[in-house]
Amino acid sequence: MDNIYKPDLMEVISVRQQTADVKSVSLRFLDAERAKNFSFNVGQFGIFSVFGFGESTFNICSSSNWKDRIEFCFRRVGRVTEAMWKIEEHDIVGFRGPYGNGYPMDAWKGHDLIFLGGGIAMPPIRCAVWYALENRADYGEITVVYGARTVADLVYADELDRWAEFDRVRVVRCVDPGGQTADWKGEVGFVPNVFEKACGKCNDPIVLVIGPPIMIKNTLPILDRMGVGAASVYTSIENRMKCGVGKCGRCNVGPLYVCKEGPVLTMEQLQALPADY
Amino acid sequence: MSEIISQAALRALAAEWISSARQVFGPTAINPHTVAYSPLNSADALLLEGFVHPANSIKEVVFPRHEVLYGYRIEGNSVELLDDHAPLPEQIVIAARPCDAAALPILDRVFNWDFADEFYNRRRAATTVITLACNTADESCFCTSVGLGPDSERGSDVLLFDLGDQFYEVRCLTEKGHALFRGKTETADRTAMAVSAPPKKFDPQVIRSFVIEHFEDAFWKDHALACVGCGICAYTCPTCHCFDIVDAGPSAGNARVRTWDSCQFPIFTAHASGHNPRASQSSRQRQRILHKFAIYPDKFGEILCTGCGNCTRNCPEGLGVLSLAMEIDRG
Repeated sequence: MDNIYKPDLMEVISVRQQTADVKSVSLRFLDAERAKNFSFNVGQFGIFSVFGFGESTFNICSSSNWKDRIEFCFRRVGRVTEAMWKIEEHDIVGFRGPYGNGYPMDAWKGHDLIFLGGGIAMPPIRCAVWYALENRADYGEITVVYGARTVADLVYADELDRWAEFDRVRVVRCVDPGGQTADWKGEVGFVPNVFEKACGKCNDPIVLVIGPPIMIKNTLPILDRMGVGAASVYTSIENRMKCGVGKCGRCNVGPLYVCKEGPVLTMEQLQALPADY
Repeated sequence: MSEIISQAALRALAAEWISSARQVFGPTAINPHTVAYSPLNSADALLLEGFVHPANSIKEVVFPRHEVLYGYRIEGNSVELLDDHAPLPEQIVIAARPCDAAALPILDRVFNWDFADEFYNRRRAATTVITLACNTADESCFCTSVGLGPDSERGSDVLLFDLGDQFYEVRCLTEKGHALFRGKTETADRTAMAVSAPPKKFDPQVIRSFVIEHFEDAFWKDHALACVGCGICAYTCPTCHCFDIVDAGPSAGNARVRTWDSCQFPIFTAHASGHNPRASQSSRQRQRILHKFAIYPDKFGEILCTGCGNCTRNCPEGLGVLSLAMEIDRG
């Protein structure tokens, strides 16, 4: 019987603690055939699980060009992620996916790219940044503005430095007021304001903005003032999911099933939906 | 001309099915106050009259409230996934209501949209539905408001009509149905009289327009004040199909299981961050109406409701689709 709920078994290659309550995990398929045939689009998600504890939904935060592994990143916040916090190298976990639509990286070719992220929203941005950097000639200027509450809450902080070394890439880091340390060299402020100050002008960019609802809400008027249309602003809707395949009934925003028609939507699409998110 | 069967012969047939390896479900009194579709151990327990609609629906025959998706065995660092290879018994539902039978083709769409759910499909394939047309309705019934009726054939393999004298007319609608009744009926020259239908109580198009155009409206808040959020509307609904996937740990046999869930519970949509897209009971009530009268119809071309009335009949506060729809329709 073909069982759409049965996961692939994956071995943990490595675990990295990113912050006091965030870890990232690298995985490889146990089945060699599956490893060879697996592909996904950056922006798609997976359902990851610890046997005995349950499943949880996360963006696949590695680049789709990395053929030897996939990665996900999580914050320790509930029953399943508490169990994930304890996983170690060589442990076996479950993976279902990839699900959802992903970022239209081909349609973004030729454009400047602006990535705006807050807190734990860096992983779903990171996969697209790496993909764009690995296909550097396809994209224009790349700007990353990433903020967190405190310096200690920045995830993938070391990768931000590596991105900044690439040609035509600008990385702006910020922390909320009061979240800075004595030796902090980044900005102090909230992502929308820091972004507005840092990037006064732009040239028909594609913007990917992921973060808390308040951050997105405050970013949109700024983009509007900069003349960036809602059709060029993308986000990833991270609704609670269980099945991932359009059946369990919870991830919809009005008529749109995030697991199948999302999670990546333009602000134009989102604004046409009822306020159900 | 028609094919008929006596009630005694029908019970004898049910007894024969029960004593074979089949699993037979039908309406039965599970306590002095409650009639429910349940597995039958004896044909005598089968109720063929004296009730309007069982307290539950037949969906649990194809979509059990708790179902193992796979087991797992953990030894050190190795994990083995275990399929459940137990053969599925042939299932017969006898004396289903037409509003319950009609739910099955509706559920077929959800469980086969893009990804085919074989847990559902194999139970569905193993099930034969013998429906008993209604000759009675109560104030909660509204099949005629959603395009069905007390003798709708949809989803049934056999449709029985009570002829009123301890005989039933037997209309076999599918080969599965014929297989059960072949040689068991007698030919007669009488046919069932018209069954009594509940009056039309609202126009589903009005409900659809209202929920789309009045997404933010005091109507939802007013009605949600009474809602206790128990989820009985969803659990007893023949078409509600939302589910959760959870792990039953070592104490429960190490399995990942699917269980029924309901859009009426706050945790159904709660994010790990604490944000909840449907944080209020009013938004959850609206979601149930939206799903039934707009989301599902837009995707699959029909309403996600068969008018059984269970959500209103079972609601401790008298809410449910009928109460809300009638008030919306009145304007």
